[in-house]
Amino acid sequence: MTEKEINMMKQAGEMPAGNIIEETRKAFLELSQIRFSWPGKRTAVLSGINLTFTGKGITAVMGPNGCGKTTLTKLMVGILSPTSGEIRLEGRSLREYTLAQIGRRIGYVFQNPDHQFFCSSVAEEIGFGLTHLGEEPEVVRERVNFYLDYFELLPYRDQFPLHLSYGEKQRLAIAAVLAGEPRFLILDEPTVGLDIYRKKLLEQHLHKVAESGRGIIIVSHDNRFVNQLARRVITLENGQVKWDSDWRGKGNHEA
Amino acid sequence: MKLDPRTKLVMVLCITTLAIVYNTPGALFLLLAATIGLLFLFRINLIGVMGYLKPYFMLLLVLFLAQCIFTPGGEVLLAIGPVRLLGTRGLLMGTSVVLRLLIVIAAAVLLTTSNSRDFISGLVHWKVPYEIAFMVSITIRFLPVFRDEFINVVTAVQLRGVELKQVSWGRKIDLFRRLFFPVVYGALLKAQQLSVAMEARGFRAYPRRTYLRQLFLTRLDICLMVICPGLTLFLIGLHMI
Repeated sequence: MTEKEINMMKQAGEMPAGNIIEETRKAFLELSQIRFSWPGKRTAVLSGINLTFTGKGITAVMGPNGCGKTTLTKLMVGILSPTSGEIRLEGRSLREYTLAQIGRRIGYVFQNPDHQFFCSSVAEEIGFGLTHLGEEPEVVRERVNFYLDYFELLPYRDQFPLHLSYGEKQRLAIAAVLAGEPRFLILDEPTVGLDIYRKKLLEQHLHKVAESGRGIIIVSHDNRFVNQLARRVITLENGQVKWDSDWRGKGNHEA
Repeated sequence: MKLDPRTKLVMVLCITTLAIVYNTPGALFLLLAATIGLLFLFRINLIGVMGYLKPYFMLLLVLFLAQCIFTPGGEVLLAIGPVRLLGTRGLLMGTSVVLRLLIVIAAAVLLTTSNSRDFISGLVHWKVPYEIAFMVSITIRFLPVFRDEFINVVTAVQLRGVELKQVSWGRKIDLFRRLFFPVVYGALLKAQQLSVAMEARGFRAYPRRTYLRQLFLTRLDICLMVICPGLTLFLIGLHMI
């Protein structure tokens, strides 16, 4: 967490008691006994979920279609609320945060990029968060240009986001979230629609993000992509954690 | 109670006609009670419907207050000095408007007991061109799409760190004005994609369509289709006297 981010949190009165840096190194995001079912439905989409994320390293969440991966990520960013159980972000209940406060800490790339766009041009979409967080216009311009260039979106900078192809939309969605440089990232199916070259670019960038001390959760079906990146792999099955393993061989256990 | 969608359409038409004709809170209240009775007969979960309508209660309250304050006439019930705040006529008008809206909403809930495909089929049986019938059903289907689009946009904006509740009204209006175009345009793009997908699957390829599911009017349907308009005309006549 940068000095600037800590100052911003202090000003907003969001600083929890104690040494925040030490605190967040321990557990950035904690899910305890999470159960979720849609209103009016008895069957639980997720149940008995207990997970802790330290805020560092890359974690992959895998599992068959409909096992609750996207629901899990939506719970983590507060779009959905658990039916029971508690989610804690930096030691405080997620219910105490507004969506904007969560958004400043966790960057979320939606499974469907169309759900994420609301600006009239590609460049505006990337710079939106930065502009509204009060960054200097020069910084915004510089960062927008960097991400446009990195994700090869420069030719489309003035285009309407919904006019792009699926792969381009996916790149834009990722770029728009990365530009805000949140301390933690959740990417839901980020490789869908990307060709091998662009997947490699994304992989390299995510490596850099992780090396800079930020945490990442990737929901994906792409085994190769996950193998290259993730240190920890969580497998969901029928709404429960089936496996939570350490990819580099620190030992794994069945949940 | 299982009825043909056409019967439900006739019933809704009758109820809404009466809601427009009646202008006293007493009559409107009785009509609302009768409509809610019908919802019970159709075994509709009223608590669920109330939950769905909760966000609109504020709108009803605003409408009620506006009618109360701005309708002149009648005895003054509440005033601050020379400024009249509430009169008997305003109170009656406010109550009537709210009851009328509740009746229309309750009647519309009746339509949710059949799926849109059955309504299209019903309208086609009434010789409405199937393109128009389909257009009506798509329009109804697109209302929640607009709502979802808006919810998605508001969520996405907040997740980029913008505290909408703390933003000043001026900035909020400016933000929503800027968001309006992409949301509407996004919905139009979806409509365009839908029309391409429909045509790709042969929609309008032939002047006539056949339907796998056929609708049949039962005796109860026919009876209700005769009784409901008859009763409505009778009640309107009674009201006019």
